[in-house]
Amino acid sequence: MSEMSSDKTTKTDRVGVYICYCGGNISDHVDVEAVRNRVEKMPGVAVARTEMFMCSDPGQEMIIEDLKSGKIDRVVVASCAPSLHETTFRDAIKRAGSNPFIYEHANIREQVSWVHHGDTATNKATVLIASATAKAKRLKPLDPIRVEAKKHTTIIGGGVAGIKTALDIAQTGIEVTLIEKSGILGGQLNHLDRLAPSGEKASDILQEFLDQIVNYKNITIHTNCIIENVTGYVGNFRLDVVTKSDNKKFNIDTGAIVMATGSVSYTPYDGEYGFGRHEQVIVLKDLIHILKENKSSGSVLEVNGKPIKNMVMIHCVGSRQIPGIHKPKENGKLNEYCSRTCCAAMLNASNQIRENFPGTGIYEMYRDIRTYGRGQEALYTQASKNKVVFMRYEADALPEITPSPLPDYPLQVKIKDSLTFNEEMDVPVDLVVLATGIEPDDVSGLASMMKLPIGTDQFLLEVHPKLRPVEFPITGVFLAGTCQAPMDAGEACNAAGAAAVKASALLRKGYIELDPFVAQVDIDKCQGHGACVEACLKEGALELIETTIEGKIHKKARVTAALCLGCGACAAVCPEKAIDINGWALKQYEDMVDAIVSDGFAV
Amino acid sequence: MVPTNTKNFDTLVVGGGIAGLQTALDLGDQGYSVAVVEKDASIGGKMIRLSKVFPTLDCASCITTPKMSAVAHHENITLFTYCTLNSLDHDNSGEDSGNKFPGINAPGVKATGLKALITQNPRYVDPIKCIGCRQCEYVCPVHVPDMEQGGLSATKVICIPFSNAIPQLPMMDIENCMLCGQCEKACPTNAIDYFQKPERFIITAKTAVITTGFDLLPVRDNVQYGNAKIPNVIDSLQMERLLAPHGPYNRVLRPSDGMEPDSIAYVQCAGSRDKSTGVSYCSRVCCMYAIKQAMLLSGSLPLADIIIYYMDIRAFGKGYEQFYQNAKAMGIEFIKAKVARIDEGENGQAQVRYELQDGSGIATADHDLVILSMGMIPAWNPGAICPVSKDSDKFITSIKPKISPVLTDMEGVFVAGAAAGPKDIVDTITESGCAAMEAAKFMSKRLVEN
Ligand SMILES: Cc1cc2nc3c(=O)[nH]c(=O)nc-3n(C[C@H](O)[C@H](O)[C@H](O)COP(=O)(O)OP(=O)(O)OC[C@H]3O[C@@H](n4cnc5c(N)ncnc54)[C@H](O)[C@@H]3O)c2cc1C
Ligand SMILES: Cc1cc2nc3c(=O)[nH]c(=O)nc-3n(C[C@H](O)[C@H](O)[C@H](O)COP(=O)(O)OP(=O)(O)OC[C@H]3O[C@@H](n4cnc5c(N)ncnc54)[C@H](O)[C@@H]3O)c2cc1C
Ligand code: SF4
Repeated sequence: MSEMSSDKTTKTDRVGVYICYCGGNISDHVDVEAVRNRVEKMPGVAVARTEMFMCSDPGQEMIIEDLKSGKIDRVVVASCAPSLHETTFRDAIKRAGSNPFIYEHANIREQVSWVHHGDTATNKATVLIASATAKAKRLKPLDPIRVEAKKHTTIIGGGVAGIKTALDIAQTGIEVTLIEKSGILGGQLNHLDRLAPSGEKASDILQEFLDQIVNYKNITIHTNCIIENVTGYVGNFRLDVVTKSDNKKFNIDTGAIVMATGSVSYTPYDGEYGFGRHEQVIVLKDLIHILKENKSSGSVLEVNGKPIKNMVMIHCVGSRQIPGIHKPKENGKLNEYCSRTCCAAMLNASNQIRENFPGTGIYEMYRDIRTYGRGQEALYTQASKNKVVFMRYEADALPEITPSPLPDYPLQVKIKDSLTFNEEMDVPVDLVVLATGIEPDDVSGLASMMKLPIGTDQFLLEVHPKLRPVEFPITGVFLAGTCQAPMDAGEACNAAGAAAVKASALLRKGYIELDPFVAQVDIDKCQGHGACVEACLKEGALELIETTIEGKIHKKARVTAALCLGCGACAAVCPEKAIDINGWALKQYEDMVDAIVSDGFAV
Repeated sequence: MVPTNTKNFDTLVVGGGIAGLQTALDLGDQGYSVAVVEKDASIGGKMIRLSKVFPTLDCASCITTPKMSAVAHHENITLFTYCTLNSLDHDNSGEDSGNKFPGINAPGVKATGLKALITQNPRYVDPIKCIGCRQCEYVCPVHVPDMEQGGLSATKVICIPFSNAIPQLPMMDIENCMLCGQCEKACPTNAIDYFQKPERFIITAKTAVITTGFDLLPVRDNVQYGNAKIPNVIDSLQMERLLAPHGPYNRVLRPSDGMEPDSIAYVQCAGSRDKSTGVSYCSRVCCMYAIKQAMLLSGSLPLADIIIYYMDIRAFGKGYEQFYQNAKAMGIEFIKAKVARIDEGENGQAQVRYELQDGSGIATADHDLVILSMGMIPAWNPGAICPVSKDSDKFITSIKPKISPVLTDMEGVFVAGAAAGPKDIVDTITESGCAAMEAAKFMSKRLVEN
């Protein structure tokens, strides 16, 4: 623990300010050149420049040159949200041979040009840059926090995603523990048969994986286990695990965690399309099971010993639900998303039935056929060739299942078919199959232990849905497979590979560097009141310890940097102003506020 | 002539789109040395040329540039742009194990490496002398259509392809150059070199990842939609440029006369899901980008009518269905119909003739601007260049589509992104991570065995 260095109060007067046009995203609303002219005159600003895209190479080169030539020693970039480019610019500063933490960001896109126009926008941009500059003057070089990392990863969930992640990571020489709550590995694939679109057998795929994993030297598998608690931080997590059978408790110390907790099938509510009321209404998984067992002998599919002359397959059950039309679950939620796998799985089953049991007629009732993936459209074309009858319903006119008036059929399905002038039709059937969608397995307990975000769709929420699909905002925790969103087996395995590559890159060196924006105690000022410890949000980040100074015992606060969130709750309550956040000091806030309220800038 | 200049890497990545960039980063971060070979003058692929991306509506250049920049400055990654891949095959100078199936089920993998023959095409600019000041571009008197802007605006014969291109090197379109010598005079570092020659070199690597992406079916080959001769009928990538903040006109105008369009139509499955064009599969991203473009349009032209002619809306990804429902709520009109043909209408309009899917027959409508969501085809044909197999859809074959879709039938060669079938950005990024993992696994396995 170092003392608070005195250079925190010193200010520099060589700030370089770089203002981005963002190709028009900013300059269409902010008069960037006018801002530059004002900024140039601000005290402490050594240079102020503009560029079409600051993040492009010419933009970064500008900063590097100014730093190298000694014109500037602090950098402010005014552009988009720091979440996009903070690291880009820090890296550029590093390449110039300077400390990457002498950098401050002003967001003049999301906070200015996308919400204001004209003079208001130009003025606000000026004020935000003034404030960032005021802060930058007091930035000091910092060193990243280095923590030792255990070369070990724990995978939670033993479906295909979990198995592939484990195999991939283990291959790079990192130890792996795989924890599965049920008695067997394989997840959903244990319940499936021929997979869409290729027709490969789920059991073959599982076998190929299991053959490799079971005897793999650096993979430990625990089935029938429940995780009771997760503590620690990246590189040094600890899991408390208990076995279901004999309640035996054990710990796992691990450097990274991958969530691969998968999904479950949606269960229709009692009476949804007659489910639970009529035994002839089943879900897709049941149909797959029936086809797997294949007890039918003749040219007609038999279910429970009864021949199926006609069957209806209803798509989007428990998926693509629309507020006001569909009935919410008990928790008030609707599954508004598409389950992605059911269209292909339904067509796959239909083709199998039509090709093996030509005596069974099939009607598919759908909203949109989503055979998006490689090889899937061919299933759809094949189904048409196999004379599967397609009928399309709109979300506001769902098919209805009622007992059939015809003696030969137990049920009939009423549909308004938008492929034939919205004509109302009754289809008599022996069997109704519901394409029930995918829902995430309930991991709310684990999520709250690790502070993992969950999206409005109840799936685990990644950092960025485009760019960082397998990472969480919590460093060292990753996700793969259908716990993130519906996907098919191949896509779940792709995600597993992607999560594995991230985890191996993280643990490769045996240590990890974290941002230094954490609390720091000024030992001289600290009187050991303990208010900070009480205010601290993160268990273990801050504690009072006893030290002997000149023969006397004193209580002093101590920060565990790797755990500190840098939230500043401690700084807010300290009566002595003895604790502060590196990079976000109170003095810096004061200067920023001064810059914002002084009206000299927004001319 | 056999080139003698050989460069050695752990992995060769062919194609510098988002798939190639992500693969290179994921391998570089693991400590492997990576070469990225790109045929265009800049890395970034299609993604850097998009406007905003569904479903987040992030500005495409804002989220692609950091990746491009991270690759360009990565200590383990080397870029080779404006290069042609002449051949890629196992290096026969060593012994070959003949094991055809790499990856997780290959017990005794022991192969010799890969060897690629590459040509650096001439930019007619010395990359070492050039400082990217663009003086040459400013003085050049010859204007040509700017293909980076879908051909909708003009650029110079010598220019840096676009403002955030990496590398920041201009190149000369020698065919249209009139050799006036002005650029040569203007260049402060004497970097212009009219006599630059193609240069051949060899890259050897232990593994390769193919990330050559896709192209759109060319409209000019399509009679149904007027062979690209009807004014104001454009393809979806051109529309991306019209919508981009730094696009050809800085706003959405119809190309023929600069009028603000009041009625805009999207033709979905243009060439996709259609055996006659050879694209019998679904191109997977067109539904979503059409919806995205329609939303962006209704933001910039709030009074315009926007219609999407579609067969099925395939909003299957995370957050996509909600995106679609929002578009409906915004008033974008979805008509379930197959567009049969497009003809030139009056006053610059295009007449769309379509068959309604509810069985009620054929109808026509006139629109100021028509966007064709053309089908996606592979950008690269391995043909005689590389013995990797392609499927009936002409994309690279994946030998284990469920267990690891990135495995090809060539040992040590992997595939990711749109080169393995149409794909959106997030699926591309995920798949690229997997390809990087398989390549890393392949190399660490060999390390263990040797
Ligand atoms: C009806 C149906 C048909 C399908 N058809 C096809 C098809 O034809 N083709 C295709 O490619 N895909 C198909 N799929 C999709 C395929 O099943 C999934 O893509 C795949 O199973 C996803 O694997 P996963 O590992 O992500 O999840 P899962 O298979 O769900 O595995 C997750 C595992 O994690 C375990 N777990 C959960 N929570 C915890 C916890 N807290 N602690 C420890 N362990 C936990 C679970 O017990 C389970 O074993 C279908 C899906 C369904 C529902
Ligand atoms: C109009 C349109 C809008 C879109 N909008 C979105 C969107 O909003 N959101 C979204 O998620 N997705 C969108 N997409 C999809 C997105 O463009 C793709 O997912 C993405 O570009 C795929 O990346 P890639 O790297 O695989 O391929 P590409 O982007 O095609 O990159 C391939 C690269 O390889 C290079 N290359 C090709 N052949 C060779 C060779 N022989 N040697 C060397 N280099 C070679 C190419 O020059 C190119 O740079 C859109 C697509 C289109 C057509
Ligand atoms: S995949 Fe098909 S059946 Fe499943 S929710 Fe999506 S559209 Fe509906």
